[in-house]
Amino acid sequence: MIEVKDIYKTYGKTQAVKGIRFSIKDGECYGLLGPNGAGKSTTINMLSTLFPPDSGEIVIDGLDIKKSPGDVKKILGVVPQEIALYANFTAWENMLFWGGLHSIPKSELHKKAQDLLVFVGLADRKDETIKSYSGGMKRRINLACALLHSPKILLLDEPTVGVDPQSRNMIFELIEQLNREGMTIIYTTHYMEEAERLCDRIGIIDSGLIVAQGTLEELKKQSEVKDVIVVECGKTPDESLLSATLGLPVKAIDHTVYIETSDSKKDLTRCVIGCSNAGYEIHHIDIQKANLENVFLKMTGKQLRD
Amino acid sequence: MRKILAKELKSFFKDKRAFLLAFLLPIILITVFSLAFGGGGNNDTVRQLPLLVADEDKSAVTIKTINDIDSAKMIEVIPCSFDSAVDLIRTGKRTSVLVFRKGFSDSVKAMKKLPWEFQYDAARAEETGMLQSLLTRTLYGSVGKIMSRQAILKNISAQFPFMDSATRRTVFAQVTKNFDAGNSANNDTQNNMKLNTVSVVSAKPGNVGLVHAVAGTAVMMLLFSLTGMGGALLDEKEQGTLKRLLYSPVQSSDILLGKMAATVIVASFQLVVMFLFSATVFHLQIATKIVPLAIMILATAIACSGFGVFLATVARSRQQLQGLSTLIILSMSVIGGSMIPTFVMPPWMQSISVFSINYWSIQGFYDILWRDLPIGGILLERVGVLLAIGLVLTILSFRFFRKNVLALD
Repeated sequence: MIEVKDIYKTYGKTQAVKGIRFSIKDGECYGLLGPNGAGKSTTINMLSTLFPPDSGEIVIDGLDIKKSPGDVKKILGVVPQEIALYANFTAWENMLFWGGLHSIPKSELHKKAQDLLVFVGLADRKDETIKSYSGGMKRRINLACALLHSPKILLLDEPTVGVDPQSRNMIFELIEQLNREGMTIIYTTHYMEEAERLCDRIGIIDSGLIVAQGTLEELKKQSEVKDVIVVECGKTPDESLLSATLGLPVKAIDHTVYIETSDSKKDLTRCVIGCSNAGYEIHHIDIQKANLENVFLKMTGKQLRD
Repeated sequence: MRKILAKELKSFFKDKRAFLLAFLLPIILITVFSLAFGGGGNNDTVRQLPLLVADEDKSAVTIKTINDIDSAKMIEVIPCSFDSAVDLIRTGKRTSVLVFRKGFSDSVKAMKKLPWEFQYDAARAEETGMLQSLLTRTLYGSVGKIMSRQAILKNISAQFPFMDSATRRTVFAQVTKNFDAGNSANNDTQNNMKLNTVSVVSAKPGNVGLVHAVAGTAVMMLLFSLTGMGGALLDEKEQGTLKRLLYSPVQSSDILLGKMAATVIVASFQLVVMFLFSATVFHLQIATKIVPLAIMILATAIACSGFGVFLATVARSRQQLQGLSTLIILSMSVIGGSMIPTFVMPPWMQSISVFSINYWSIQGFYDILWRDLPIGGILLERVGVLLAIGLVLTILSFRFFRKNVLALD
């Protein structure tokens, strides 16, 4: 569905994108995860034909974006990072305006707008101006406006910035529903939990490069990041004794022992029994699952929110 | 308190825009206004008011009189034929003409009513009033002297018919010497010298100021409001709606053209409302001039819209736009005649008034509402200039729109 081949983009002296390459299958939800300034928005802007890459190629649904930007725009829906709506217009007026730009016949547009207002749960407030909406409601209309022309592909550029957890959850549910219905989605974020929840595959982007990509499991494998079983004992454990007993890498700091495992579920009982047999009284047990944050840290050497 | 004071001053001087608005903008405006009102205080050069002179008599008396007028400090004589003088006045290029009709010299000698006229453009009443007053003073000192001498000579001859010519010359010399010292003409002479004044354009008492007030104010306010409207482009950029428009199938040129079309419509509507208001409340006569007025309104709207959108594409932010527009619009309004009549300005400044939209627009409205000019000729020239300004600014707007506004990242 989407082929991105070695794209580069430079603004003045800043090279924002330095040879990004990825491909997305039909119906897939692909996440671009990276900190602010990593090149996510630049990539989205190039995908959405706002400007072409300096070099490289982007093919969407068989269309080269440089050669057929108009046709590409017809199959793309873009949800920008900003609340890109006219605050003095009502939700209904906004929807008719943005939908009207796609030359949708009037009756069809009215029906679609009404359906989408129901979909985002704002049908009963469609005649209120956007400025009277809460942040979460604005985000939902922002999303709805990108769907009016029934795009095949939806690009979402950090669509939950500044949204409360409840509204964020609602937006996730909407995106999941769209994806279930077969829409191909590209989702940029710097929140790892969003990427973990929504995306089938994730590209980790940093300083204009994709440093790793794949499913969460594939990324864990690539980065060799493992789950950690944390056992708090009554006294300082002997690292080498425990490591030999459990057959797993062990690190002890004060009264706490950190046991690395690629399958925490399977090894948990063994760890508890091993510690107990070694004579350590167990006060507390916790499992730190390998997550994108660890993966990102391992891959880039920096925290995701740096 | 000291810490707050120090913080306030520090933040003020750190804010370059506030600093510029507080100091640089007033300094520039003071300079523009001062220059418009005649320049610095120690300026010794006297500004001359131009006066067309049509000499149909071409006698020694008229030549001497014209030379006397020309030597007056504040009047600049421009000789020309009567017909071309009337044309120049009708089209607003000159304000007035002094006409010496045939037989002027004979009338002076015969001490009859003088056949001369001062024809003027009542639309520029202040300027012609000043000129007329200067002219009267000069003429009384020149023609008045000639006519008074004729009267004295006539009286001496009548009262002392047997006086020999040598004695008569001596008496005449003595009397005229004393008379010149008094420098005044008697009542009969004053009556005969009375300058006939004629308005070249049809007179509409009370309307001149109204036309100036409506046209001058309307154009200035239009420039301000359209700059604000053009500035919405910058808001769209800041709020992300511009980016969203670019994500849609709409062409970037359509965005700018749509914006311009909207400003032209709003501007036209604004001007229509202003003229209708003036017609209703102040009885401005527009009923018989709907077509030329509509043409001028549209041309003004196009020029002003081009200006508003152009400024918005040049500025990088709303704040920059605000400073820039205040400076340029006030300057244009001063030199273009929206705020003060152009005639009080020094000649060099009058010559640059053509670089303002205000000038062309105000003169166009004068042509229609005061000078009663038909569509064509000078009126079309003014419309053409306004349309050309609109076109050039639109072309420049496209250039700056791509360079400044569409540079999204």
